[in-house]
Amino acid sequence: MAQYTQTFALLKANFKRDWIKLTVWLLVLAGLFVAVAAKFEGIYGNQQQLNTIAQTLRSPAMKALFGPLTHASISTAIIFATEMAVFWAIFMVIFNYSLAVGGSRAQEESGLTEMVLGGHPVGRLAPLSAAALELLIADGIFAVITGIGMTFANMPGSDSNGNWLFAVSLAAVGWTFGMISLIFSQLVADSHNVSIYNYVFFGLTYLVRMMTDVSNPDNTWWSPFGWIEKTDIYIKNNWLPVALFLILGIVAFGIAVALNVNRDIDAGIIQVRGGKRQSRFLQGPATLLFWNQRSISLFWIIGMAVLGASYGSVFNSIGKLVNDSPVIKEVLGSNGVQALEKNQVLSFVGILGIIFTVLAVIGGAMVINHLYTEERRGYLQLVNTTPHSRYYLLTTYVLYGVILAVVILYATLMTTMVVGNSTLAHSLSIRYYNRMFVAMLPVLILFMSTLVCFIGIMPKLRSIVWILLGGSFVISYFGRLMDLPNWAMKISPFYWFDKVPIHEINAEPVWWLLTIALVLMVIGFVGYRHRDLAQ
Amino acid sequence: MNHTLVLDVKGLKKSFGKFEALKDVNLTLHPGEVLGFIGPNGAGKSTTIRVILGLIKSSGGSAKVFGKDAWKESVTIHKDLAYVPGDVYLWPNLTGGQTIDLLLHMSGQTHTGRTDDLIKEFKLDTSKKNRTYSKGNRQKVALIAAFSTDVSLYVFDEPTSGLDPLNELIFQQKVKQLKESGKSVLLSSHILSEVEKMCDTIAIIREGKVIETGSLESMQHLTRNSVAVTTSEPLVKLQNMPGVYQLDFKNDQKTTAEFSVDSDQIGNVMAALSANKILQLKTTPPTLEDLFLRYYHSDNDQKVGE
Repeated sequence: MAQYTQTFALLKANFKRDWIKLTVWLLVLAGLFVAVAAKFEGIYGNQQQLNTIAQTLRSPAMKALFGPLTHASISTAIIFATEMAVFWAIFMVIFNYSLAVGGSRAQEESGLTEMVLGGHPVGRLAPLSAAALELLIADGIFAVITGIGMTFANMPGSDSNGNWLFAVSLAAVGWTFGMISLIFSQLVADSHNVSIYNYVFFGLTYLVRMMTDVSNPDNTWWSPFGWIEKTDIYIKNNWLPVALFLILGIVAFGIAVALNVNRDIDAGIIQVRGGKRQSRFLQGPATLLFWNQRSISLFWIIGMAVLGASYGSVFNSIGKLVNDSPVIKEVLGSNGVQALEKNQVLSFVGILGIIFTVLAVIGGAMVINHLYTEERRGYLQLVNTTPHSRYYLLTTYVLYGVILAVVILYATLMTTMVVGNSTLAHSLSIRYYNRMFVAMLPVLILFMSTLVCFIGIMPKLRSIVWILLGGSFVISYFGRLMDLPNWAMKISPFYWFDKVPIHEINAEPVWWLLTIALVLMVIGFVGYRHRDLAQ
Repeated sequence: MNHTLVLDVKGLKKSFGKFEALKDVNLTLHPGEVLGFIGPNGAGKSTTIRVILGLIKSSGGSAKVFGKDAWKESVTIHKDLAYVPGDVYLWPNLTGGQTIDLLLHMSGQTHTGRTDDLIKEFKLDTSKKNRTYSKGNRQKVALIAAFSTDVSLYVFDEPTSGLDPLNELIFQQKVKQLKESGKSVLLSSHILSEVEKMCDTIAIIREGKVIETGSLESMQHLTRNSVAVTTSEPLVKLQNMPGVYQLDFKNDQKTTAEFSVDSDQIGNVMAALSANKILQLKTTPPTLEDLFLRYYHSDNDQKVGE
């Protein structure tokens, strides 16, 4: 037990450090969840509304996005559970990842862990245990707020067992993924790589969930992320997944502990290899950026192409009409049915376009963000004292980031098309995908320019870009199901192209989105030239 | 061009919000000179250097390198300048060798025989990844790149803080070679013996102001020498002599004494001592450390020697 000495003192320090982050995340995660629940009866109150949404949710496209709606009889609460479970679990995972990395590898990287362990009577396992406890408490608070809030929201069809199961299972999925992240923190020596491992793992579990939900929901048990659907909230209220999450989380923590005691501080289990003694390739900032980013860029493109392919692989089921009774077939004729099916797939492509664009922006923006990360870490002080202007430096990063994002987006759409067409009886023309691609470009560039603007004038606030991106995504992806008012939908830049690819692109929003983007970009560049570089 | 000052900083100010990091910094560096820039942590050495390098913008005064504005013409200036920061941070995924070549290429230089010699002299294993290097090894990477760069001005900001004494010695030799080949060097340091050995001119900074500039000799001249003396007759009259401070008799007869004396009074004091028949005499000029401590222990409004 000596190795756990002072865990609670470190835990207190963690809370002191993270309290703003924790408060904001918990308020948004729990608050928004309860707010949606409270409002839900107004949206899906009567039977007719329920039937309409149930029919939508039973389509394979919705199954792929939200998980299956298995039960025959439906209520407001059941619809809520189906729409929210997978969606909110994603946010819980992101939240816990960010806490777990911040509490483990990031602290070690900054040298804090070495100081605490080396110079103070603190147990070797105390930092790791403190991180695990911090996550446990944060998720516990989420569960309590959400559980109480849901009780007050009192949706038709809800019951207190289901309310608490929902709150606890969301907390549990987050905590478990956080514990798995602690394993990755032991494997590699820097927080950046830990995040990559984290999201690769999450991506895999998500893909398995999606593909099995569409093909055979019984197999969804193979993905830990899929367990969240197996709770059958408000139907059977199955607590087994919560138990599974806890077991997996404890096992993961145990593995992390075992790895931790067997490694040196500041090192990872996976050893760093040596390399070449000379380099002819590295000539300046541009080649350096390429060299540093090439693996992760490739990883993004391949990963996203796989994502596109897996969405494409369910196209044939998405095309199927939910209501394909002989009467309807007769009324529409075979051409009519085909046209309807095609539209159904096309609107799915429209939703995919938004998802892919959000992810492509993340991939590209991370490159541009790296300019500031390198500045803060002091790498750039050696570059900035060579004869390369700041404009050149920023241009290099912006160009790389934008090109990467564009390539990711197009590659993903193309693999979606190729795999999708192979499953469809009547293939979709590339023209639709190109239209989708072109429509998303102004949006993509707008988000990139916003980031450049922040990096140029207020780099400390650059994370606002993620809030804007996430907000726009939630509004466009979720807004219609939430029945958001039209003015709120217009806040998201995606709104202006929501008829694409079924309809042509409206040229007007393209111009003003690009104009805003250009203004932001110029502000960013001028600001970057004229601000002090961080030390 | 030879008559242009390499470095000309006048009345430089820099504020971060309300905090005035630099209040009044004046520095001049002539071609072929080594300028030592000393002061404790937080006095403003690195801030001054960062302004000179065009990394941050001054709030007042002027900073010129090669006669050009340090902020506006930073790119042109950097063509003829090499810099080694005190805390060297390097891209974790590159090896030391790749980093050296990258830094050389970025300054328009190439990997030469000189580079290989430097790698050997500093004993750096260039096949290792930067993330595995200690602080001293990262400094070696930056130093090797800087020393194998052929430019007119070298700026070192506490470059030896992580080096062992052997490597520190190599550093001193290399700076000497730069000086011999007519290069200019700005060396900020708080290792005073290093500055004492290498620098032609010394500037002392304190709380954002350069409070003294000049050669070590001229600074020594401004202040007091310490004297240890034994005479055959008691030295009582020293007690009332002008220019004598910290008088301390070492024996009851008052024939052995230690004291410090103002440089301009040394003639009178010597005459007085000779009158008492000197048996033993040792005078030592103040070391840079004495000077430094004296400057730093005196209050803000007190001048040296008071």
